[in-house]
This record gives sequence, C-alpha cells and structure tokens, in this order.
Amino acid sequence: MALAVDAAQSRHLPDFLKHFAERSAHMLRSLWGGVAVFRGRETELYTGSGSKSAEGRESREWLFACARELRGEIAVRPLPPEQAAWFASPQGELPAVLLFVPIKASDGERLGALTLASRSTALSGGEKRLLSALASHAALSLENFRRFSQLERSKRQWVEDIDAISDYIVVHDRAWNIVRTNRSLASHLGVPPAALVGEAMVSLRPIAETGSALPCPFCMDTQQAREEYVAASTEKIFLVSTSRTPASHDEEARTIHVLKDITDRREAERRYRELFDSIQEGLFFATPDGRFLDVNDAMVRMLGYGSREELLRADVSPHLYPAPESRERFLRALTKQGVLRNYEETLRRKDGSLLHTLQNISGVRDARGRIVQIRGLMLDVTEQKMFQSQLQRERDFNQKILNTTQSMILVLDTAGLISYANRRCYEAGYQEEELIGHRLVDWVDATHRGEFEGALETTAHGHQVENIELPVRRGDGSMGHFSISLSPMRDEQNAVNSVVVVMTDITDAALLQSKLAHSEKMATIGRLVSGVAHEVNNPLAAILGFTDLLLENPAVPDSAREDLQIILQETQRTKDIVQDLLSFARQRPVQRELVQINNVLRQTIKLRSYDFASHGVEVTEEFQTDLAFTIGDAQQLQQVFLNILNNAYDAVQESGQRGRIRISTKQRGESVEVAISDNGTGIADPQRIFDPFYTTKQVGKGTGLGLSICYGIVRAHGGEIQCWNNGAAPGSTFLVRVPVATDAATNAVAKEAGR
Amino acid sequence: MSTPVLQQSLAPILVIEDEPSVIAFLRAALERKGYHVEHAASGADGLALLKDGRYGGVISDVRMPGSVNGAEVHRWIQQHRPELATRIILISGDTANSETQSLLERSGTPCIEKPFRVQHLLQVVERTFGKP
Repeated sequence: MALAVDAAQSRHLPDFLKHFAERSAHMLRSLWGGVAVFRGRETELYTGSGSKSAEGRESREWLFACARELRGEIAVRPLPPEQAAWFASPQGELPAVLLFVPIKASDGERLGALTLASRSTALSGGEKRLLSALASHAALSLENFRRFSQLERSKRQWVEDIDAISDYIVVHDRAWNIVRTNRSLASHLGVPPAALVGEAMVSLRPIAETGSALPCPFCMDTQQAREEYVAASTEKIFLVSTSRTPASHDEEARTIHVLKDITDRREAERRYRELFDSIQEGLFFATPDGRFLDVNDAMVRMLGYGSREELLRADVSPHLYPAPESRERFLRALTKQGVLRNYEETLRRKDGSLLHTLQNISGVRDARGRIVQIRGLMLDVTEQKMFQSQLQRERDFNQKILNTTQSMILVLDTAGLISYANRRCYEAGYQEEELIGHRLVDWVDATHRGEFEGALETTAHGHQVENIELPVRRGDGSMGHFSISLSPMRDEQNAVNSVVVVMTDITDAALLQSKLAHSEKMATIGRLVSGVAHEVNNPLAAILGFTDLLLENPAVPDSAREDLQIILQETQRTKDIVQDLLSFARQRPVQRELVQINNVLRQTIKLRSYDFASHGVEVTEEFQTDLAFTIGDAQQLQQVFLNILNNAYDAVQESGQRGRIRISTKQRGESVEVAISDNGTGIADPQRIFDPFYTTKQVGKGTGLGLSICYGIVRAHGGEIQCWNNGAAPGSTFLVRVPVATDAATNAVAKEAGR
Repeated sequence: MSTPVLQQSLAPILVIEDEPSVIAFLRAALERKGYHVEHAASGADGLALLKDGRYGGVISDVRMPGSVNGAEVHRWIQQHRPELATRIILISGDTANSETQSLLERSGTPCIEKPFRVQHLLQVVERTFGKP
C-alpha cells in the first residue's frame, strides 16, 4: 500500500500524518481532516491544509475532548454553527458534522483518532468501510512508528551504555575487522569510536594480547562460544571475556571482546600473596571445626608439612592439639572475646614434636554472631621457650653455684662500688647495707689499700689478677687474711663494665699450714734431741763419775784439783743443757685443772718483780676482770709466761731505753688471749723464734730451748703462741691463746678433783 | 782376816750395762768402797749370770741394746729371784720415758739418773744393798 510506513518514512511521522489527514479528507470529500495522536495524557494533532481555525487552541481542546470521549466504531458529531466555523473550508463552506474514527493498535490500545469535517450528516456503507480502512492503516503506521522509535531509543541507549562502560569493548567480524568499539577503547587509542570501524583487529595489539597466533590479539579459540582468559601487555593485564554470536540469516557471525583491566587487582593479589607467603609468621584461615582454608608457606613449614595442599587436605586438628581440651578452651575464649592477642598454645607438628606458638586470632562472625571463620597469625616461639627455660636453668644453676660456694663473690662496678654479693658474704657476717653501694677497698686493711686499688686498676684494663693476699676486715670486725682474685667482666662491646671479685678467708688455712709445718719440724727435732741427749748422758756419767773419784783421791795434787773442779763445773753445765733438751723433747703430761690465767700471770710477775723494779722496767697489767677459766697445768703455763717475761726483760735491757712491759688479758670468742708486749730490741726473726736452739743471746746465756718448750706446752693445752715485732713502735709482742674451759670439761675436772 | 767375813756377808754386785766407760766408772767407784763387782754387757748376758750365780744386788741400765732391757731384767728377777726383788738399782739416761716411770712408780725401785755424782751413787747403793 502506498501509505505503508517504512522505517525511512517513520522518521517523518508528522509529515506523514498531515499528508494522511489531507488525503483522508480528500477521499471522503470532507472540508477538513486531522489525526489526533495520544501520547500518554497528551494529545497531538496533525492536520492537512485547510481550515486554519481548527488549529486554534479552543477548537483543539474541544476536538481532543471529543476524540478521547470516543467509544465504539465511528462517531458522527453534529456541529453547532459556532464550532462549524472552526472547521470551515478556505472558501468559507461550513461542515455539518465531525466524523471521529478511532485508531487502535492490534492489542486494542487506542492510539489516537482520525477526524474529518463532513458536509453530510449521513454516511454511506462504502464511506464507513473506507473510514475503517483508513483508521487501521493509521494504526499500523503509528504502531510501526512507535516500535521503530523504541528500537531507535534502545539502540541509542545501548551505545550510550556500552560507551559508559570503562571496560574496553570491541566487536569484530569473521574477516577480523572491527565492527564496533566502545568509547573507552577508542579514547584509550585517542580516536573517535567511528574511526575504528572497519580497521583490522590486529591494529589493537598494542593494548594487549593473549599470545595466540590469530589475527585478533584478544581471541584464543574461535570454536568457543564464550570464554574468559587473560591478555597482557607490558603495562596492563586484562581479563578478556569473549562471546561469539553465530551467523544468522540476516547477520553474519560476530565476536565480542570485553577487556577488563585487572592490572591493579592482579597487583594487589600478587602483593597479597607475596606478603602472605613471604612473612615469617604463620598465617591461616580456618573453619571453627578446625579445617584450614588457607595457610601460608611459613605455616606449612612451622607445622612440618610437605606442602600447603597436604596441610589443607588433612583434618589436622585432632593431631594438632595434643590435648583436645586446649582446643575447646581456645574456642571458648575466642567466642567470648572475638579476638585473642598473644595467645599461647602448644601444638603438635606432623612428626609429633611439640611446637610452642604465640597466636593472634580473630573470629569472623555471621549475622547471628556465630563464628564462621578463624583468621590468625602464628609465631613459632619454641626456640624462645627452650632458650628461656634453658636460660632459667642456667640462671638457677649459676645462682646455686654462687650461693653454695665457700668463697665470697662480689661484683664491683667500674668505680669499685659493690653491686652484688653472694650469700656466702652474708653468712660470713657482712651486712647487706654495709656492702652494696660501698667501696670494697674500704674493707681492706688501711696499709694495703694501694695494693688493692692497683689490682682493681689492672682489672679495669681487662687483665685478670689472681690470688693476691691481703688483710681484710671481716664482718665481725676482726682482720683476716684473704686470698683475692679479680676478673674483668665485659659488656657486648667488649668493654670492661664490672669486676668479679672472689675472696677466700685463708687465715686459718695459712695458719694451719705453718702450724703443721712447725709441729712436724718440732717432732723431728724432739726425736733427734731425745736420742742425742741419751747418748750424751753415758759419756757424761763417766766424765762426772771419774772426776768425782779423782777429787776424792788424796793422791791428786791441789793444782790438779782446781782443773778437776772446772771439768766438774762444765760437766754440770752440759748436764743442764741435756736436761733442757730432754724436757723439750718429752713434755710432762699436762695436768688438767681449772686455771685462772690472771692469777698465773700475777704469780709469774711476782717471781721477777724484784729484777723489774731494780732495773727500772715498768710493768703494766691490763687484765680483763671477769676472765673465763681455762683448763690446764698452772705450773707449766707459769713456765711459759716466765719464759716470755724473761725474754722481754732481756730485750728491754739490751735496748738501753726505759723498759716497759705491757701484759694484757682478754677473752675473744672461745679463747683467752694473753698479750705480752715490750719496747725492747724486737725479734730478729719471729718466724724462727720457737725453733729449738734458736737464740740471739750470748753464748752461755741460754740453751735456746726455752721458747721451744713454751711452744710445746701451749700446744699441749690446745692453744697457740705467736709473736711479732710491733711494727712502727719498738719491741715485740707475744700472744698466747688458750681455749676457754667448756662446761663439759669443767664438770669433768670437778669430778676428777672430787674423787 | 776379816775379809772372808765381808765376802760372806755380801755376794758380788751384778752390773748390767752396755757402755764400757760407765762400767769402768761403776766398778772403780764400787770396788773402792769394798764391793765386789761382776758385770754383764747386755740384758741377756745378765740374765744368764743371774740364773747360775748368787748376787748381793743388781745395778742395771734401763736402756740397752738387744732383746732384754732393764725393765725385763727387773721383771725376771721379780719372778725368779724374789730375794733380789728389793735389791735392784736402775740407772737411766731418760727417766722422762713413760715406760720407765711407770715401772719405777709400781715397784718403788730406786733409780739413778745419768749423769750422777759418785756420792749420790754410793748413798743409793749402801741404802739398797747395805754396806759391803
């Protein structure tokens, strides 16, 4: 039909409708024709040439109202003269009626109405059929036009939509030529989209390529209807989604590529994975029932599995937790707190060995608050644990050594202040507050401090000082002889930051050693002397005897008698010497009785008081009044003191000064000490003074056995005797120390006496 | 002559002493006072003489070489010659010796310490053995 509307015509719908209205009016010999088209609530009117008035506002609204009221097939509306004038012909002829014919779509929707201003009020059957045919023709055209415009709109929309997509979209045909691209792709290349149409796909290669040998850089397998893969250039990585439309009767086959730039995502993923796998801590995602969803390499390594897959595959939790209740405890804690920080857990490796871990865990909850996933970070602290316990053991061990050693161990800082003292120091009588923070050197005897400070200096320079022997004040105030070793202690930079001092009180050891040596010597001398004395007595007996006989012999002349007297005298002296020797060698057994030393001393002094007084020797007594008794032999002790006094007397006599002898007694601990000091000439060799035959006196003035005998007596009393020169002051001091009588010994003596 | 009377009144004194010079002196001192002296150079010799002979007294050194010393001579006499038990004088070079001391204390045996004066010797001899 001539009026059929095709796509090209539809673009000119207003013209068509005007033409249609004019033609319809002409065909039905009407004065005027128009088409009202409903667009929603709006109505548009298209009229042919003819009455201008019909296009006025008033006439239109009247007309539209009539058109919308229209029901049924054809309506004939008579026109009053006023309205008829609106639709008059250019020649001024007035219509009688207006004819309304509805225009309906195939589904019955009213699309509009055809209106004609007719001269006659009646319509023939032919005219009615013609009008119906015209209305259906208009309906078809309008419907077509509508579909076409919808198509146009959606087509435009589609282009806009794909242009709005930031992913690159390109469509190509089987000849590998571009059919269409979206704006993103075109703008990436810097051209309008239309410029690319018809170009070869290969020209897009710089964007990215899959690496296939096809002429399209984005195609992988032309047989696949849909596929997804990655194409990349040096800068970008794309996820390519490809669809292929098969060839149909009106269109040839197309291939559509959508390129999604996943460079950043890939990079983020890569970084994440890299981080995930490279960190030394174990990372894991797990289900609450104990299955791992993902773990990193460190985690695999930590738990001793061969690969990530092995660990993910296995239901490891029964093996992982040596004690099932510890896993329950862990879950309870996580459920309650949601996050666990520095959670300590002992796990079991694949090989069964134990792994001490420190974990930071968070739980992912669902909408109902149930934990659906566990995410965690795990540190292997086995070594630290072992190291820690080893350290603890070592520390305990060292502490034990420090506390049980019999040596005093102190640590000094570089200034010489004591920063540590082991338990032994306190056991030895030192108080913590007088040690810690104080200078150790202050405890050293004043005359030896330089020596100690020198040693400290040496140590501070990194050298060890071993076994220096110094007098050091003990905790109880007495002086002791100490062996001291100093070792430097260094920090990480190898600088000396403190000094370890090991001190041992060797007073007793030194004394004991010298005493042992001395008593051994004395015993040897005793045996020797005893033998000699005995042998000498025989010839002496003969000499003395025969001399006596000669003296009794009247035949011996007087002159010879005088000589014999001298022989007698010297023999007598020899006899005395031998007697002394023997009494040294064989001491009498010590009598056991209670002895008050002060009394013994007083009696002894009395024995020599005449000599002292007559030679101007001043004797001072400083006796402790409540001096404890000792047990021993008063006579023998008197012999000891007398011997010492004699020595002192001789010494002060020799010095030529006014002699002074000071005698003091004092109880110290379990001993009674007697000190006898003089201001005489002193002793040439205090170490040898108790040796038999050691004498500094003139020949004939003494046998040199006196002090040896004293030594023996004091030793037999369980005591000791020492002597030394007074140092700065002239003279010497003898010290006799005998033990205080114990209660048991006193009782035993009392019993003996009472028997 | 009165000598036989003397000889009868006191049998010889046995001196047991290993030191020749001491023997010589003892013999000289005692014989000069009129005692008869026989001598043995060791304890064993002394005991042999005591078994067969008859003596007025015994003077014995305490310390002598050989197996028999003064203390053993003393013991032998106590057992075998009780008549001589109180007629023993010991001479000693070392009375401090504890063994000698206990012997002297037990028996009350007189002891002369070497070296001794001749007067002291004769006093003890006369008191113990009587005059010759």
